[in-house]
Amino acid sequence: MASFLLRQRSTQSDIEPPESLGEELWEEEMERICSTKVPLQALPYAMMDKRLIRHLREPDGVKTSFWEQWKKKWQRVHQQFLDVSHRLMGTFGLWKTDLYEIGGLFGTGIRSYFTFLRFLLVLNLLAFLLTSSLVLLPLAWLHSPDPGPAPNTSYHCPTSREPQPDLSQIHLHLWDVFTGRALSNTYLFYGSYRMGPESDSQYSVRLAYLLSPLTCLLLCFCEIVRRMVKGLIQKQLLSKDYRPRLSSKVFVSWDFCIQSREAAIIKQHSISNEFKIELQEEQRFLQMQQQTRKQRARQLLSYVGINMFIGLLVVGGISAIYWATKFSQNYKDESLSLLLQYLSPGVISLVNTLGPLLFGFLVQMENYPPNTEINLTLFWCVVLKLSSLGMFLFSLRQQAVLCTGRSDHSSCEPHDYNQCDQCWENSVGQELYKLSIFDFFLMLAFAFLITLPRRLLVDHLSGQFWVWLGREEFLVPKNVLDIVAGQTITWMGLFYCPLLPLLSSIFIFFTFYVKKYTLLRNCKPPRRLFQASSATFFFQLVLLLGLLVASVPLLYVISSIPSSVNCGLFSNYSVPWQVVPEAVALRLSPSAQKVFHYLGSNAFWYPVLILLSLTLTVCLSQSGANKRAIKGLRRQLLWQVREKWHLVEDLSRLLQESGGSDSLGPESPSSPSSRSRSFCPGFPCPGSPRPRSFMAGSTHSQDPGK
Amino acid sequence: MGSSTSHLSKELLTEYQELTFLTKQEILLAHKRFSDLLPQESRNVEDSLRVRVSTEQILTLPELKANPFRERICRVFSTAPERDSLSFEDFLDLFSVFSDAATPEIKSHYAFRIFDFDDDGTLNKEDLKQLVNCLTGEGQDTQLSTSEMKQLIENILEESDIDRDGTINLSEFQHVISRSPDFTSSFKIVL
Repeated sequence: MASFLLRQRSTQSDIEPPESLGEELWEEEMERICSTKVPLQALPYAMMDKRLIRHLREPDGVKTSFWEQWKKKWQRVHQQFLDVSHRLMGTFGLWKTDLYEIGGLFGTGIRSYFTFLRFLLVLNLLAFLLTSSLVLLPLAWLHSPDPGPAPNTSYHCPTSREPQPDLSQIHLHLWDVFTGRALSNTYLFYGSYRMGPESDSQYSVRLAYLLSPLTCLLLCFCEIVRRMVKGLIQKQLLSKDYRPRLSSKVFVSWDFCIQSREAAIIKQHSISNEFKIELQEEQRFLQMQQQTRKQRARQLLSYVGINMFIGLLVVGGISAIYWATKFSQNYKDESLSLLLQYLSPGVISLVNTLGPLLFGFLVQMENYPPNTEINLTLFWCVVLKLSSLGMFLFSLRQQAVLCTGRSDHSSCEPHDYNQCDQCWENSVGQELYKLSIFDFFLMLAFAFLITLPRRLLVDHLSGQFWVWLGREEFLVPKNVLDIVAGQTITWMGLFYCPLLPLLSSIFIFFTFYVKKYTLLRNCKPPRRLFQASSATFFFQLVLLLGLLVASVPLLYVISSIPSSVNCGLFSNYSVPWQVVPEAVALRLSPSAQKVFHYLGSNAFWYPVLILLSLTLTVCLSQSGANKRAIKGLRRQLLWQVREKWHLVEDLSRLLQESGGSDSLGPESPSSPSSRSRSFCPGFPCPGSPRPRSFMAGSTHSQDPGK
Repeated sequence: MGSSTSHLSKELLTEYQELTFLTKQEILLAHKRFSDLLPQESRNVEDSLRVRVSTEQILTLPELKANPFRERICRVFSTAPERDSLSFEDFLDLFSVFSDAATPEIKSHYAFRIFDFDDDGTLNKEDLKQLVNCLTGEGQDTQLSTSEMKQLIENILEESDIDRDGTINLSEFQHVISRSPDFTSSFKIVL
């Protein structure tokens, strides 16, 4: 079959004078291509050229060695295996068509939010699997006693339950489900896990129960850091010289997966806005460089002032949450009105809804450049959200911890904390459970009671106000913060409410569909372009912060807070962490025990720390050396190109002097003939290996394709 | 018509799998979509491998219809002398480069060729100008003004043109692209 390559060459050779130099270079290039190990698929040539190259690489006549044949056969089997696994993944790939549809209509920025939802769903399911396989299954297998509050051995407390209100049966059950009381004797909550003493059984359920949240958090941490690093634009943070912001934006911002005309127009608008904003910011930056000292000081002062003011607002919001939680916990067992039960979740949501609006308003007043505005608002929203959750947990624990384990109850609040029927882990678990449910229903309420009516009103009513109001904008950062807060609650509750990840996964599953419906029907796409990679990094960073906010209290509780004496697995231990040394002492041989003791001692961790610091120093100095090398290489490249120009000028001058009427004069760098050669068969390229004719008056329009 | 079947032979499929990044399913789907663009009498297997489809027909595909670079894509992948039609193998090459499994190197190579509007092997100021105009669209309010365009192009050249010759060649382009993790996911068309 006639190769396109060869056809190109033959047409070229008709026009050009004999070109031995070109032939040589051609042969060299062909040899280079044929000898590389690059697989055929990855060569950037047309199909028929690839066939030619395959033929050249291994002509049929030549007998390939046994090793080559075996390798080829193995590759084919491997390929088939990959095919089959891809097909299977395709059938099991969750929401693939939905994601594709969203990407086609709105671009990859918004799609990254939905991909993030899917990632969280998988995380939660895996957490649930881990917990159930390590804790629930062995518990069921070992025929442990049924879940329920343990018989009181030491306090002779009456086995009374909290008084039930006088309502109808169905209403009662539903309400109890929402507050968690109906489920408090099931495996959902900490209090109902029971187990005989450690020495009885081979498998330590206590150890499993203690270690599974920790393992979960550790695995999540590793996965999040891995994804964060993948999404990070390298070196952008490290050095000012590498600033491929605009150029990479220009080359990378078009999503080739967009299929609808409207989406393309919207994308073009947002790209154009983005460019304009970036250019404006640069102008502004240049202007700022020329400011006087006084002006700069004034700007800095206003910046600090605004941040402090917003910080005060955040502190105010958080104290409101603290007082609300304290209030609701104090009056917990009295009238079960809706307001009191859900007071804390309500206050948290109120603070988190009003806060961002206030921040946005305040920041806008200062007239910062758009990027700074967005980043500042986002930063404070994240701080508010995570610290409100942290404060909620802290105040819960304050209440619980202050009032158990003490003989005198005078230090407690007026409410009578009877030591008998208090299982503070259960109550903390119930609060987190309620918060989780409240978040989900709030999301539903916002979607169906605010966004949907807004869309209906805007679409069907005419009037200045409705036109100005418009549909709601689908803001990706706000939605991501909401979902990260939900995930933080799940992580916080891993110890108190081991089946919370399952509940969370069910909520995320429904959230996906509700959000998709909202996006496609009731929202308009955001004005600002959200680039997928920076989005990924931002999502993973916020998730990591949430993980930290969730793990610190957990570690503190496990290692320092005594558990309640009449419920749960750790009732006979001073702190839950005691199980570990006991298990080590009980189950391991003396030599293994010695190893564990060594691992926990200072003598192990100091050398490890020193080693890590050394590695870090080596990496940093290597990176510094690389940077210097790169700078040097760039300078060298510049010099070489300039040298090339000098040579070209000298050559053309010499040619002019020696005769040859219309040879080319010194050429500017931008003229087409002087570019570096690139072997690009398959499309006419003046850089392709044929010599520039300096002698005859060559025109540049010989390329067949032009 | 004779004994022509409507399926590609097994050897051909294996060969295509070896030469492209597509899986068997994707190749068969591509063949079906390509045949749908052909006139009725050429829809059997042998003819579909020989006949070329004009660019106008290819541009009616929903995957390409809304893409501002659609004409450039067809031109780059076409192996016809006038570069105005695609054969089935060109079609496969197109979807192979835009598929999930393609390496970033081959994607960046073809992206460079697509953005090189005057087909001269480098991106000069004119190419960049046309590229930005494609990205921002035709509307009056979205197009950049002359000064903005000048500033933008100067910025791009300052950031990416390492050897300071006023144009961006393939290696410089690939250098910029390698720093953006977004590129592989946005440079994708799936049938």
